[in-house]
Amino acid sequence: MTPVVRDQRQRFPRLDAEQTAATAAIVVLTMGVLLHASTLPIWTLVAVLGCSLWRFIAALNIVPLPGTRLAIRAAFIFATALALLAVLASFRTLNGLAAGTALLSMMGALKLLETRTPRDERVVIGVGLFLLLAACLANQTLTRVPLYLLYAWVCCAAFALIAQRSDSMTPRTAMRLAGRALLAASPLAIVFFLFFPRVAGQFWALPTGGAASTGLSDEMSPGSIGKLIEFYEPAFRVRFESAAPPPPQRYWRGPVLTHFDGFTWRRAPYSQYREPLVEGIGAAVRQRITLEPHNRRWWFALDTVSKSPRSDVFLTADHQLVSLQPVDEVVSYEVESHTRTRSTTALSSVAERMLTALPGSRNPRSRRFARELRDRTPDTRAFIGQVLEYFRTQGFRYSLEPPRSSLDSVDDFLFDSRLGFCGHYASAFATIMRAGGVPARVVTGYLGGEWNPIGGYLIVRQSDAHAWTEVWLDGAGWMRVDPTGVVEPERLTRGVIDLLPNALSAPTRFMHHSPWLTRALMVWDGANHWWRENVVEFDFRQQLALLNNLGLGDTGWRGLGMLLAAGFIGWLVWIAYSLRHLMIRAQPDRVARAWQRFCTTAAGFVTPRASDETALAFVSRIATARPELGSAARDIADRYNALRYGRGMAAARRRQLNVLEHAIDTFARQSRERT
Amino acid sequence: MLARLRRTLARRGAAWVKRRQGVDRLPAVVHARRLYILPSRSGAGFAALLLFMLLAGLNYANSLALFLTFLLAGVAIVSMHLAHRNLLGLRITMAQTVNGFAAQTGRIVIAFANDADVTRFALRVSVDLDATRLVSQALELPGRTQRRQDLELPLARRGRVTIERIRISTHYPFGLFEAWTWLHLPLSVLAYPAARGGRSPPAAAHGGTEQLAVHRPGDDEWSHLRAFRDGDSPRQIAWAAYARTGQLLSKEYVAPRGAYRIFDIGELRGLALEQQLEQLSAWVVGAHERGERYGLQLTDTFVEPGAGLPHRDRCLAALAVVGLSMRPTQ
Repeated sequence: MTPVVRDQRQRFPRLDAEQTAATAAIVVLTMGVLLHASTLPIWTLVAVLGCSLWRFIAALNIVPLPGTRLAIRAAFIFATALALLAVLASFRTLNGLAAGTALLSMMGALKLLETRTPRDERVVIGVGLFLLLAACLANQTLTRVPLYLLYAWVCCAAFALIAQRSDSMTPRTAMRLAGRALLAASPLAIVFFLFFPRVAGQFWALPTGGAASTGLSDEMSPGSIGKLIEFYEPAFRVRFESAAPPPPQRYWRGPVLTHFDGFTWRRAPYSQYREPLVEGIGAAVRQRITLEPHNRRWWFALDTVSKSPRSDVFLTADHQLVSLQPVDEVVSYEVESHTRTRSTTALSSVAERMLTALPGSRNPRSRRFARELRDRTPDTRAFIGQVLEYFRTQGFRYSLEPPRSSLDSVDDFLFDSRLGFCGHYASAFATIMRAGGVPARVVTGYLGGEWNPIGGYLIVRQSDAHAWTEVWLDGAGWMRVDPTGVVEPERLTRGVIDLLPNALSAPTRFMHHSPWLTRALMVWDGANHWWRENVVEFDFRQQLALLNNLGLGDTGWRGLGMLLAAGFIGWLVWIAYSLRHLMIRAQPDRVARAWQRFCTTAAGFVTPRASDETALAFVSRIATARPELGSAARDIADRYNALRYGRGMAAARRRQLNVLEHAIDTFARQSRERT
Repeated sequence: MLARLRRTLARRGAAWVKRRQGVDRLPAVVHARRLYILPSRSGAGFAALLLFMLLAGLNYANSLALFLTFLLAGVAIVSMHLAHRNLLGLRITMAQTVNGFAAQTGRIVIAFANDADVTRFALRVSVDLDATRLVSQALELPGRTQRRQDLELPLARRGRVTIERIRISTHYPFGLFEAWTWLHLPLSVLAYPAARGGRSPPAAAHGGTEQLAVHRPGDDEWSHLRAFRDGDSPRQIAWAAYARTGQLLSKEYVAPRGAYRIFDIGELRGLALEQQLEQLSAWVVGAHERGERYGLQLTDTFVEPGAGLPHRDRCLAALAVVGLSMRPTQ
């Protein structure tokens, strides 16, 4: 056990090579666990940091490491079992990314307490690299990239420190070495990233399970919501292949609610009748949608989507996209929609009965009102117009903070409060339609979105959530009617946040209304979205597109293989040539630099010094060539020899070195003056 | 069975390497042809880890994991080049052995020259002795410098230890690859018999004069001082003069020419051969320390009387090989 060496220049004790290697392993594990700081349970972090601290103090020889006695080995096994149970208790499973990460962190921390050999330390670095992999699987956002690269850098430097264990391999040299190696490796990484064929499909799946953030629910009870929760977070982003549809057409279809009990609209879990067929009119709008995780099964698309983008996502008869699995990570898909459609078949009688059904006891005033109005206007289109006219003229107002209602929510809204948001209007309108014998349903989803001019895509936020209705017109098919638009026409073109600025929290409001900040946010969002579309979601399809852009046409696997091989060979050649720059060059010390300067100066008028020529022999040649410089040169050589080969106290040497450098300066000046 | 197979393979491999490289002559330069490189054990572990990362990255179509995998793989390849370059062009200017006593250590001394500008890190010298590999400390060789590295060899028994080949290796930079070269030089280390035994040396002096003309330590019968020469016994050094002048001077004794002792193995009858040799070794060491002249009479060898370090070593070397077949060393 070596004692801590205290360097006079440094306030902190300097670590020797063994201690540095141990510390490298500690730093790697600690940093690796901190990569997961936001998702790991607190007890894991505390345990890992405690073990790291213990190992570090042990490396300083202040406290001993746990020994290798049988009792301590048993304690280790016990601690391992305890960690396993604790992870199981925290996550209720061991299978899954978050639980696996916690387990790996604990195992790494326990391993840290028994690192005795370089091999043990390398195992800890291996654990660190696994933690890095887990971090990549958990989070690939742009902000994390510098962290991951820094971590990879530290891991490589730790490998150097652990392998070399010499005083000349300081952490700084190791970082320099690892940094150069990483820089040299980056062209290869880029070539492989671009051209290594991305095999599609999963060989095995690990449940990702994680933080729940909520999106649209499959039911809607407008009367029960006192205040709509404000969501500034993006729900999804949309890039249009051609021009974006005008704002009033930006209805993003989500769950379709058909069952109403007077208070709550619900989605039918399965279809009980045959839906009429629908065909699109006009050109299709192609979109690429990047959907944020919302832990529900809805995928959103511009109304009305015509085909499912993926095999594990179904297009229901009422044109919702429903996936088999909840969306718990970012998904990206391309869909085609038609903003105008036409039904080609009629509504069956079963469907008509179900879509006009209302609970017999609820909302009696509304139903009476609807029946009376319907009796006066037998034409369905006129009936719709009358109802919308009622909304427009009878003092209805748009609000995100409506009063709570009784179970007869539609009655309360229509005749008492007349205050509500989209859900209230859609619910009331659909109720009136059904009471009037017109098949109607509520569609939830999003309306509008914010255009990002920098990235050229649309951001649809949670605050753009919307509900509207669809009514069946014989002969024309399903027609979208948005009663909210009648009350608040601006809602069709602008977001909720613009209409009701008070709905936002103060910081978000400030952000949203400062043009400079908004622009900065848009740039940032654009960079992130670019990152996600072009890097995170880079796949075989984009590789093929890249081949096409490179002029290789439709070569597919063969093209990728050729580019990969060419890139690899090119990189190898480049590395072989540039290896010189990768190697660590020992800096000549001040004495050598000064002497080199002298030799270069003198080489201006005598044959340059041969590598085996002594200093004295060289200056005697100078004295022969330029007698007037002889004594100065001899003086320099003597001083150089004394500094190079003599002994002396550090302070004295520094003084002598100053004199030597000064003498060389003078010599250089003199040699120039005479020529 | 497996161990025997491995030994056979190792022997075959060593023979093959020697056949293709031939015997070296110093100074030897490490050319690419004689430089070998393989992943180390931790390199194999690293490769397994990278494979796992690759599969995970492909499985989850995780771009960042794939990029980092490729980046680390690139680092590994760069480190392979660096390990190769760390040895390539290294010049071995000198290789010597220092004999030692049995149960103590001998030494191999190797001098390296770095003709490049860049530093060569973590050079290790190793030798395979009795199925164990002895590895030296790591040596760092800054650009355009020469340095030597010592490797201690534990000597178990008296006799000659032939150094079949010397291995010069490096784990630089990350320990993922090991580059090495073999050096075949006609080197051997002699293990002198341990200097042990309680018998007093023969008292009689041989030679031309009648009186006992051996100078015992503490005698002040020296004639003059001369400059220190390698091989002078520490007892010969005029320490008082050194303290005064700071110069190392040796006392030149007025030993009458021809006054010497002969250590004769015949006088040690009754002891086993090894004990005889150990006793002789002790006598030689003692006589050398006292600055005496002495000779050695063995059964079939006679070392003429003399003094000084080379003479001592000649005597001890003669003792080291008594009774052993004199295999030619290569």
